[in-house]
Amino acid sequence: MEMLAVKNLKKSYPGFALKEISFSLPEGAIMGFIGRNGAGKTTTLSCLLNLVHPEGGEISFFGLPFAEHEWEIKQQIGFISGGIDYYPRKKLRAITQVTRSFYRDWDEEAYRRCLSLFRLSEDKTPSELSAGMKVKYALTLALSHKARLLLLDEPTSGLDPVSREELLDLFLTLTREKGVTILFSTHITSDLEKCADSITYIREGEVPYSGGLKEFLANYRLLRFPDGISLDAGSQGVIGVKREKEGYSALLEKGAPVPDGAEVQPANLDAIMVHLEANDLFRQEGSR
Amino acid sequence: MKNLVAKEFRLASHPTAYLFLGLSTMMLIPNYPLSVTFFYPCLGLFFICLNARENRDIFYTMLLPVKKRELVYARFFMAAVFQLGVVALCVPFLLLRSLYPPVGNVVGLDANLALLGFGLLLMGLFNGCFFPLYYKDPRKVGKPFLVGAAVLFSGIGITEALPHFVPFVRDRLDTALFLFLPEKLLCLFLGAGLYALLTGLACRKSAVSFEKLDLS
Repeated sequence: MEMLAVKNLKKSYPGFALKEISFSLPEGAIMGFIGRNGAGKTTTLSCLLNLVHPEGGEISFFGLPFAEHEWEIKQQIGFISGGIDYYPRKKLRAITQVTRSFYRDWDEEAYRRCLSLFRLSEDKTPSELSAGMKVKYALTLALSHKARLLLLDEPTSGLDPVSREELLDLFLTLTREKGVTILFSTHITSDLEKCADSITYIREGEVPYSGGLKEFLANYRLLRFPDGISLDAGSQGVIGVKREKEGYSALLEKGAPVPDGAEVQPANLDAIMVHLEANDLFRQEGSR
Repeated sequence: MKNLVAKEFRLASHPTAYLFLGLSTMMLIPNYPLSVTFFYPCLGLFFICLNARENRDIFYTMLLPVKKRELVYARFFMAAVFQLGVVALCVPFLLLRSLYPPVGNVVGLDANLALLGFGLLLMGLFNGCFFPLYYKDPRKVGKPFLVGAAVLFSGIGITEALPHFVPFVRDRLDTALFLFLPEKLLCLFLGAGLYALLTGLACRKSAVSFEKLDLS
């Protein structure tokens, strides 16, 4: 079952536009939503929840169109934007009391379990919580109303490596053991390699790739070559030649011949993104 | 909707809005422009909207299972509770004021039911100006309040000047509490009707504007 399907989503602002974005998310998966700052990740997520009005396209959750089933859909999703940043001076108890009244399937036992698991005190206020604890409280609220789909907007940014690892473990547990589905927007791509099943890559308002993470990684290899070797972005299958501290690096497309003198390594998400974006920059400069 | 109203009072309301309810005691002040009393619940609404912005109330609420325009309806409901609350709380103080000298009010309208009618009209005018502007962009609270307050204070000036210039107001409405009750009751009901009309129109217009707004 598709937990989320986005078809031809469009939205334009002066100087930026989402251009017919499409992707879908199967049940029980973690999908990474990646792209550089300003690529359109947050605008897309905002469109999903009607915070921003799309100019075209279709959005459906659990097979239901969002526009006609907003209430029903919101009962089953949790949106977490880098932890809670609302009502920073109210006690968690007060926020929970108000929040729980909106949900049909609020599970008080699950809420208490999460509080205990995350060592959260209801007597604290959001302003007294660390960045990681804020995300955990937001997750607690989402899990207590039995959200089947979590939309996470940069939940790990600003967290230390240990807290990030903890959260990633939690996401894996939620998907593998509880059947929760997660759409996870981030620019910390190393997080995704640890937990994501698939990715949707957004670049300048377009989605050049949406699919399996392994397949995406298998499409590229990383080339490293020293100074003095003549190689440019026009070489067959070479993408985004970029100066490094020593020599150059570039991406090599699957099946393309390895240039003489170059060292080939597996490419990670970070390297792929950086070189694909560098390729754009190269093209833009070339067209001037 | 019931949950949203509860949320308004438990999270979004500001302590000053409750404190300003107590300013209905201003009815006891002798020789004072008493219609100023009705400015305070409006000031309380300004603080509530400011507080909501600082606490990212709209973002929090939009993630809950609610429809966008219901946020507007809940806020108007709270506004009406505070504004009508002040009017209702004025009644015992009007009675109390009638028990001690000096009789009347040399500044403007006497403390009576007609004053409450004018007060309702003034708050309706404020709602009609403030909320539709505010819901065009809830990040900007100051300008809508300045416009609303300017209209409100103009109304207060006119209200307090009426007994000095309009014979009907001087002879019938600006009199002791229990004199000319039918005229004063008519003024009260007219004020209430106009309050309901202006607030209802403002609510509808605000909901339409807010619905169209991108909350990015």
